[in-house]
Amino acid sequence: MTNHWRDIKNTDLILINGANPAEAHPVGFQWFMRAKLDRGAKIIHADPRFTRTSAVADMYLRIRTGTDVAYFGGLINYVLQNNLFHDEYVRNYTNASFIVKEGFGFNDGLFSGYDPAKRTYDISTWAYEATTAQAQPNPGLTQGPPTTGSGFADRDMTLQNPRTVFQLMKQHYSRYTPEMVSSITGIPVADFNKVAQMVGEMGKPDKVMTIVYAVGLTHHTTGGQLIRSAAVLQLLLGNMGRPGGGMNAERGHANIQGNTDHAISWEILPGYLKIPAPGQKTIADYVAQSAPKKSDKNSWNFFGTNYGKFMVSTLKGWYGDAAKKDNEFAFNLVPKPAGNASWMTIYDQALKGKMEGVVLSGMTAASIGPDSNQVLQALGNLKWLVVMDALPTTSSEFWRAPGVDSASIKTEVFMLPTTHWIEKDGSFVNSGRWSQWKDQVIPPQGQARHDHWILADLFQRVKKLYQSQGGKFPDPIMALTFGYADPTKPTLDEIAKEINGKDLSTGKQMTTFGNLKDDGTTTCGDWIYTGSYLDTGNLMKRRDGIQDPAKNDPTGMGFYANWAWSWPLNRRVMYNRASADLAGNPWDPARPGIKWDATQAKWVGDVPDYPPTMKPLTQDSTAWLPFIMNGEGVGRLFSNSMVDGPFPEHYEPVESPVKNPLHPNNSASPVAFLYDQVAGRPNRFGTAKDYPYIATSYRLTEHEHYVTQHVPHLVQLQPKPFVEIPYELANEKGIKSGDKVRVFSKRGKVEVFAIVTKRLGPMTVAGQKVYQIGIPIHWGYVGVSADSDPSHGRYWLANALTPFVGDANARTPEFKAFLVNLEKM
Amino acid sequence: MATTINPGEKYGFFTDTSVCIGCKACEVACKEWNQLQGNNPRTVVDSFDNTGSLDAQNWRHVKFVEHVPDQPSTTGNGAAWLMMSDVCKHCQHASCMDVCPTGAIIRTEFDTVFIQQDVCNGCRNCIAACPYGVIGMNQQTGTAHKCTLCYDRLQGGLEPACAKACPTQSIQFGPLADLQQKADVRLAALHTQGATQAQLYGRDDSVYGGLNAFFLLMDKPETYGLPSAKNATLPTRNNVGGYVGALITAVVAVIGGLVAFRRRGMTP
Amino acid sequence: MILLAEHFVRAPQWLWYILFYFFFAGLAGGSYAIGTLLRLSGDVRDEAAARVGFLIAGPTTAICPILLTADLGVSWSRFWHMLVDVTPGSTGLNFHYWSPMSVGVWALTIFGFFVLVSFLDAWRPFIPRPVNIVFNVVGAVIAIYVASYTGVLLSVSNQPVWSDTWALGGLFLASGLSGSAALIALLIRNRADAAFSLSRLHQADGYFSALELVLVIVFFVTIGAAGVLDREIVWLPLWAIAVAGIAASLVEARGHMRARVSGSGTVAGMRIDTLVVSVLVLLGVLALRAAVIFSAQ
Ligand SMILES: Nc1nc2c(c(=O)[nH]1)N[C@H]1C(S)=C(S)[C@@H](COP(=O)(O)OP(=O)(O)OC[C@H]3O[C@@H](n4cnc5c(=O)[nH]c(N)nc54)[C@H](O)[C@@H]3O)O[C@H]1N2
Ligand SMILES: Nc1nc2c(c(=O)[nH]1)N[C@H]1C(S)=C(S)[C@@H](COP(=O)(O)OP(=O)(O)OC[C@H]3O[C@@H](n4cnc5c(=O)[nH]c(N)nc54)[C@H](O)[C@@H]3O)O[C@H]1N2
Ligand code: SF4
Ligand code: SF4
Ligand code: SF4
Ligand code: SF4
Ligand code: SF4
Ligand SMILES: [Mo]
Repeated sequence: MTNHWRDIKNTDLILINGANPAEAHPVGFQWFMRAKLDRGAKIIHADPRFTRTSAVADMYLRIRTGTDVAYFGGLINYVLQNNLFHDEYVRNYTNASFIVKEGFGFNDGLFSGYDPAKRTYDISTWAYEATTAQAQPNPGLTQGPPTTGSGFADRDMTLQNPRTVFQLMKQHYSRYTPEMVSSITGIPVADFNKVAQMVGEMGKPDKVMTIVYAVGLTHHTTGGQLIRSAAVLQLLLGNMGRPGGGMNAERGHANIQGNTDHAISWEILPGYLKIPAPGQKTIADYVAQSAPKKSDKNSWNFFGTNYGKFMVSTLKGWYGDAAKKDNEFAFNLVPKPAGNASWMTIYDQALKGKMEGVVLSGMTAASIGPDSNQVLQALGNLKWLVVMDALPTTSSEFWRAPGVDSASIKTEVFMLPTTHWIEKDGSFVNSGRWSQWKDQVIPPQGQARHDHWILADLFQRVKKLYQSQGGKFPDPIMALTFGYADPTKPTLDEIAKEINGKDLSTGKQMTTFGNLKDDGTTTCGDWIYTGSYLDTGNLMKRRDGIQDPAKNDPTGMGFYANWAWSWPLNRRVMYNRASADLAGNPWDPARPGIKWDATQAKWVGDVPDYPPTMKPLTQDSTAWLPFIMNGEGVGRLFSNSMVDGPFPEHYEPVESPVKNPLHPNNSASPVAFLYDQVAGRPNRFGTAKDYPYIATSYRLTEHEHYVTQHVPHLVQLQPKPFVEIPYELANEKGIKSGDKVRVFSKRGKVEVFAIVTKRLGPMTVAGQKVYQIGIPIHWGYVGVSADSDPSHGRYWLANALTPFVGDANARTPEFKAFLVNLEKM
Repeated sequence: MATTINPGEKYGFFTDTSVCIGCKACEVACKEWNQLQGNNPRTVVDSFDNTGSLDAQNWRHVKFVEHVPDQPSTTGNGAAWLMMSDVCKHCQHASCMDVCPTGAIIRTEFDTVFIQQDVCNGCRNCIAACPYGVIGMNQQTGTAHKCTLCYDRLQGGLEPACAKACPTQSIQFGPLADLQQKADVRLAALHTQGATQAQLYGRDDSVYGGLNAFFLLMDKPETYGLPSAKNATLPTRNNVGGYVGALITAVVAVIGGLVAFRRRGMTP
Repeated sequence: MILLAEHFVRAPQWLWYILFYFFFAGLAGGSYAIGTLLRLSGDVRDEAAARVGFLIAGPTTAICPILLTADLGVSWSRFWHMLVDVTPGSTGLNFHYWSPMSVGVWALTIFGFFVLVSFLDAWRPFIPRPVNIVFNVVGAVIAIYVASYTGVLLSVSNQPVWSDTWALGGLFLASGLSGSAALIALLIRNRADAAFSLSRLHQADGYFSALELVLVIVFFVTIGAAGVLDREIVWLPLWAIAVAGIAASLVEARGHMRARVSGSGTVAGMRIDTLVVSVLVLLGVLALRAAVIFSAQ
């Protein structure tokens, strides 16, 4: 989230796309209801299914899964065509005025630079003109910075130049007419226009809208662009950086945000530093290829400027004395993977027999898919599998799953009982980036050990082996700092302290990442957490909350600055410089983020996303622009940071019943990575002929994915696996609620019972009638329900159906849109 | 919602179905606090309800009623997929209390209706009487069980577990007067928004002299399985009719008997 | 009476124990009442039959508390809670005049005393006439309550059918009396000393059954008005048995009326055998209660 949960109460309009907060984030959802009840905010929920969120929404739109780019594209078009965008904001705080290189183009669904053989883009044309024209004062409507001729990107503050981002964007989205949107999404034109009107209002400075999304957008081959399309709309309406606005991702597990920050995903190091690439020998190489480049003279390019300092401090934290100036701070000890190592890649490698073993911790591969049957094969291909979990999972039990011939499975499976998160202290980072320290609720049960103790112990043993036997490249192991009181039992407190980092010259905890250095005198474990654990103590433990709102939330905006700690630097709303105009006055005085206080000569309100005493642009033409993390210093309507296009474009899911109405020849994402094909396995994608129905998968509020199969109180609430079938379709098929049905895709099948409902229904897409059916993800062959079932849950894995393909950028699987067929059993 | 709880005051629930999201946190919170293990899992196949009804193991029960129209786009606002967290109404005129022969059912110092487990002997007369099907027999204890309105928590100054757990404040706990006033405000708001079908149930004395646990409904009471005001009558209403009927019968029968057996002829 | 009542109640699961309690309570109360009536308006030739009535009341009454208690959730340790309120702070006797169950338990207790005395007196007479008659009359009042309150108890609920009619109290009383008359007749049918009472018992049974028939009709009309008739459909077989019982006793009684008109002392040959009639009637009494009790649950 750019904002945070409580902030949602400050909004006027809530767009919920690809999320079901009432069911997946019920507690966070209280703030949606407060906005609705206390300030009359409206909630618009677009979802393939009428869910428990729709039940309290002011407007529910039945949308075809995977088509939100069209929805947002249509809104962008409406806002541009009717000049409803926030003009001053768009000119000064976005790259609308930036001029794009000649040669950039878009034709029949393909951006310039496409290589069909490699299925990738050469993005060199997705860049700005940087001619050296005469610097000239800004003739724009408002006092923006002057355009420049110093090798920075050219800008046209009038936005008239046909190659400005603004004009290119306008042209790009002109194709997204209400009729086109309707024929792609299935939302009737009239209803779409209603939404467009409401959204159009939100470009006014005194109005603000929030967009909330979750994995209903990410679980698509176009996931990244689905989200970007919404972000572009928010930039146009001037809603980024403002209380009550923003792009708000509702994150997953209670600490998935913390996982991501600390580099759970393959392409990053802690703090979203890029993973080093092959060929990079020096920090300089690394920074040159990784850091954003300053492309406007008023851009601080904070991230880019400090990239090296963050990296060096991280290396120093990892390798201590072994990291010295003359050895590039041990940069050579960091792996520089040639290939991608995303979730699907791991199992793809295992299928190819290129994987010895896998350690699963707090995640059950067999259930979470995609294409569980293939994943199960992959697990069977391993020499060994270690499952670190508090409870049995479909992965720890896969070798004796119903229908599996255990004898045929050579994988040696080890179960290491870990403590469950309620058995340890530590921090949870919520969607709003608040790192909240929690206590241990119950002592570890049985022989369970903390994950970090298991890993520490493992590390010490490996280290011993290297010591005694030597080996290829022992340095990364030998050099690793491990300065915990008990090297096999580090405390989470020690680790939190280490993550914050310290100043080696003074031995004091760092107070801000602004002071991190690239000379080896400072350390950090994750720069965005610097400032969370000071010499004065652990700020994540702070609890100054609603006991005394007057004192703890003086602005009434819900920042509660002394409740826990929020990265970065305890900032509650990111990019908050954009919440005020060029002169530093809040766009909406009633809902200030930060504002320039002339008397104190500093920014007040939230922790400013800006040098606290830097005068606003109107008083200092050299002042920085608001989006300090970008090279441009402004929000990017046009971005070259995505592999599948600088402007979000609608592509069909890999499995879709229709051809893309915008460009039938390039219907689906041209760059989505096709694992099976690349690995020489047959692509197992179904066609509408054999699999006429669209399916989407999701969680139910009564469950936590798979694990709550062990919790009787919750099992009672939704005991048996089911699929939700539209009433009309069920009638065609003679299916009644409670009947047993078989749902099958090109990959596999589930055999469960039917819930027939009008919450799903037919829709007209590209002139044809399509049905969507809903498949909850919860059940499998482990847990209370399976134990009481004759088939022992043999055909209960939702992911037996899903395709082994993912988003071009993040490689997140396409769990949310695939084709199935359906029959009564 | 930190309300201080004082014995002697009237407390209750205002359950606003228009904001209920059917998350069932109330059901689970109740079971956790009251250590109810729940029934064996069974699938009811009634929308998302698998609890079925209030009983000895379920003192909160979230009802789901699907009225979702055919149009692809609709307004939710609690009126298309109705969800209601049902509970003991803690009636001012409580049918259960009305018929209980042992005096096990009492009105507490918080003006709630409470079944004393050490007094109840399991005759089940209250079950026959409660018009809302709230009470169930606990097989282990052989006594009647229902929502206690967290008597133990109230005594400890804590709000009821279900209200505490409710994320949307669909369940609001507090002094009855405050709740009634809140409810009126909310109803007015809904009416101005055009939700004319919205209505309060049990807020005034039209049902059982008023319900301490009253509701804001988005459809008529019957839709949620609640007797309408007209049908909300106490069991004891039938005492008179029943006894009079019996009396008349008795009189006629006695006369009949006397006639049949009347003395006739001499004794030999 | 509410038209088209809606019911959202849960069934109390009052099944076999309660059915038989209602059955025996009806017979106990009925027999005692008939015994009293025989003594009141009959003559010495009816004393034998009257005593049989009191003798029947003994065991049938004795069974009642056992059945009642057995039906409780916490049976043997807490049945007395019906009489004594053990609520901490407000302990004392439990008498809720508005709760038929509470009143009924008291009635049963007191009735027990009357039955005991009258039983002993019937077995080995020790109370001189007319004292015993006075005693019996008082007892009979309670007896009639015991035989009828069970119907009222059902009505004082919110159960479908039960709470939708006011006829149950009377219905149970009438059928209780009819059943008792039949039972006494059955037991004395071969006793020369009581032969005199036999045909008059049948005659009385006829009146009771006629009354019962009227009340059955009232019952159906009232529940029909409440819109819960459908609930009876499954139980029609039971109702058939009940009506068969009524019919049998009516036919039988008609025979005796004729006989009396014809002035002849005996009606031999004209009547169906007492055994058959009485059994039919008693079955009817049971079936009627079963039909009523089950139709709500
Ligand atoms: N109770 C509960 N809460 C949870 C979890 C849980 O397991 N149980 N899991 C947690 C985790 S890890 C995560 S990631 C989050 C996920 O939170 P959510 O993303 O909210 O959960 P989902 O149910 O996967 O998907 C949300 C909705 O997206 C809709 N949808 C699918 N495809 C599309 C689409 O293309 N467009 C639009 N507009 N909607 C679409 C689905 O119908 C579904 O209703 O929930 C977290 N919270
Ligand atoms: N088709 C389809 N598939 C999906 C999704 C979908 O929407 N559709 N959603 C996807 C998403 S977003 C997610 S996040 C995944 C979720 O997939 P998982 O993360 O596998 O689901 P959980 O059941 O939450 O598994 C968490 C496991 O962690 C264990 N655990 C809890 N605490 C600890 C701890 O402290 N240490 C250790 N070692 N273990 C612990 C629990 O016992 C449990 O077994 O599913 C994905 N799969
Ligand atoms: S489980 Fe935790 S994270 Fe999820 S909604 Fe509840 S409180 Fe929020
Ligand atoms: S709802 Fe039923 S149990 Fe609760 S007080 Fe009223 S009558 Fe008694
Ligand atoms: S079951 Fe218990 S509470 Fe209910 S009426 Fe009988 S004694 Fe009273
Ligand atoms: S008040 Fe207490 S007992 Fe009653 S439903 Fe709520 S949690 Fe359960
Ligand atoms: S907790 Fe609240 S929102 Fe959830 S089901 Fe219960 S009443 Fe509804
Ligand atoms: Mo997730």
